Amino acid sequence: MPAKSIRAEYLKGLWQENPVFRQLLGMCPTLAVTGAVINGIAMGLATSFVLIFSSLVISSIKKLIPSQVRIACYVVIIATFVTMADRFLAAFFLPISKSLGPYVPLIVVNCIILGRQEAFSSKNSVGRSLIDALGMSSGFVLALLILSSIREILGSGTFLGHQVMGAWFKPWLIMIFPSGAFITLGILLAIALVIESKAKQRR
Amino acid sequence: MNLSSRMVIVLTSVGLISGSFLASVGLLTKERIALNRQQETEAAIVTVVPGTTNSQIVYEEEGFTVYEGKEDNGNLAGFAIYASGTGFQGKITLMYGTDSSMTKIKFLTIIEQRETPGLGSKITDVEAFLRYWENKDMSSSLTLHKPAASSPEELAPTEVNTITGATISSEKVLEIVNLSLERLRNLKKEGKLSSEEQDAS
Amino acid sequence: MIDKTYILQSSPHFKDKDSVPKIMYVVILSLMPSFLTSVYFFRFRAIALFVSCIGACLATEALFLWLRKKPKHSLLDGSAVITGLLLAMTLPPSLSLDRAVIGAVAAIAIGKQVFGGLGHNIFNPALVGRAFLQTAFPVAMTTWIPPAMLKVNTVTFATPLDNLKFQDAVAQGTLTSLKDLFLGNIGGCLGETSALALLLGAIYLFYKRAIDWRIPVGIICALTVFTGIFWLANPDKYASPLFHILAGGLLIGAFFMATDMVTSPITPLGSWIYALGIGIMVGLIRLFGGYPEGVMYSILFMNTFVPLLNRYTRPRILGERREK
Repeated sequence: MPAKSIRAEYLKGLWQENPVFRQLLGMCPTLAVTGAVINGIAMGLATSFVLIFSSLVISSIKKLIPSQVRIACYVVIIATFVTMADRFLAAFFLPISKSLGPYVPLIVVNCIILGRQEAFSSKNSVGRSLIDALGMSSGFVLALLILSSIREILGSGTFLGHQVMGAWFKPWLIMIFPSGAFITLGILLAIALVIESKAKQRR
Repeated sequence: MNLSSRMVIVLTSVGLISGSFLASVGLLTKERIALNRQQETEAAIVTVVPGTTNSQIVYEEEGFTVYEGKEDNGNLAGFAIYASGTGFQGKITLMYGTDSSMTKIKFLTIIEQRETPGLGSKITDVEAFLRYWENKDMSSSLTLHKPAASSPEELAPTEVNTITGATISSEKVLEIVNLSLERLRNLKKEGKLSSEEQDAS
Repeated sequence: MIDKTYILQSSPHFKDKDSVPKIMYVVILSLMPSFLTSVYFFRFRAIALFVSCIGACLATEALFLWLRKKPKHSLLDGSAVITGLLLAMTLPPSLSLDRAVIGAVAAIAIGKQVFGGLGHNIFNPALVGRAFLQTAFPVAMTTWIPPAMLKVNTVTFATPLDNLKFQDAVAQGTLTSLKDLFLGNIGGCLGETSALALLLGAIYLFYKRAIDWRIPVGIICALTVFTGIFWLANPDKYASPLFHILAGGLLIGAFFMATDMVTSPITPLGSWIYALGIGIMVGLIRLFGGYPEGVMYSILFMNTFVPLLNRYTRPRILGERREK
């Protein structure tokens, strides 16, 4: 793999290898918690926290871990950070912790995190792994932000709890439900594909 | 060092380090989390048994807890009953308060629910639903008034109102309350609700 | 240059005058009696809903044809008009027009064009539009107004199936009479109220052989048997099969929605399985489900099995041996 510039290493997570729109990873939290923007952001930040710290730890001890037990080690390390995030939310952000429900502990099985460890941190330096984790986290937060904004505005007529649509607007409840999540994600994926193919033609 | 002993050492040390981290995080947040939970319950108890300044558990089992609410001067203000069960789409957790002699339901409040937004979620609405639960006779099972009544005066003392378009959610709340009333009556009969008994057990 | 190309294709070579527009116009014509009765019962509201649904369907179709750079003439093949017409017929008369337009856009965009247009959709587009509205606006989609004929002073009005499910109509003896159900003097969606008008249209469809007779027959038989068993066992609690056939959206669903050529099986055996599945699902939802009516979800549910049914009920080619 030719060495990329640090900028490119970060930017690839935002678009070219965006975990949600391009790699279709982490679908479970993407669909489940994006009914409200605040939940989307909280989930994005919690996942980012876990991803960044696991990448740091794993890339720095990668030489010590025998490849036969690497997955077990990764999972233990990821689970540690997830539990820390979960306890932290429950202690200081109770309403968010309640509305995210079981999805915070489920960050353990978010394939973005394990995927980045296996595909990147276990092969690259600490610095590069950090940049990669930051890029992927930003991409994930961005995707959750877009999805949850559409769903909250159409589904409740609000943005971050503030009324943004006029009184004439009747909320589309379907957008809060899982079915609305699937429809919105499908449309966004289609748009991402169209943009990508247009960009390819131009190249 | 051969491979298998290296694997054991690495896994063990990763586990030990993670475990100690978690133990310290758990210790640091434990008090705060317990406090949060307690505050939530206390707020609900004050809503359903007005005047409570001090409450304690008198009976507890899975998904069913009875609290005793006391006023400032030590007089019994009433009991708060915490109960949960399945709703139309998920778990419903609720709490209702009784007077000190356990003859009437004073107030009902919904702590947690996942009913259909706009329809079933009206069970948390005071105007549409909760006010119809005030001062209900709890000596027998309650029933639903169908179709929906428009004012509490239309209802019999053992009747509660239906939400138009969300009959099932209304029924589920009623079911949870009726089931807990049944348990409560049994407990009362067995004399397990007085404070002295609590000390013994 | 050669002007004409020779068509090379395998047998069969017989040709039929049927074309997509021709079948579509037969269907549109067969919906006319129901259209007229709904205008008679619900007056201006009915016309406004029909116009906005059909208009929004055509506009969405045109937009997608333009975006996908497809020939525009398929706009006039009548399929978008039928989707709009059928969608309007499944809406409550009191629904506001902007919501009806949202449903129509969802029907064409999510129900049809994302799959690749006419012939590629898995689900009946009109029902996708209705399902979208049902989930998006559950309150508005279950609020009914009485027909204009009935001079009753109520703002809302329960459908016969609402009565059955939520008011214990059988035990109370307040079940809607079969005569009202047959003529349509009841609350309900625009096009589903009058069984008589739907049957007239269905006879015309049979006469023109535009639909597969197995599907409506199978649905009605399955529902009759299913609800009949419960009715015979306990007539004080369950409504008769005839009530179930005439009430709600069963007839419009069985004759006009489940028979959609694109989303129903092509083999006779497949059609039977599909129809029986719908009939039993409707019975299950109406008797034991949370909703009073289940025709829409039953048809959408069985739509998902159509590719599978087509695959496993394919007749064996003559001389082909069963694989061991």
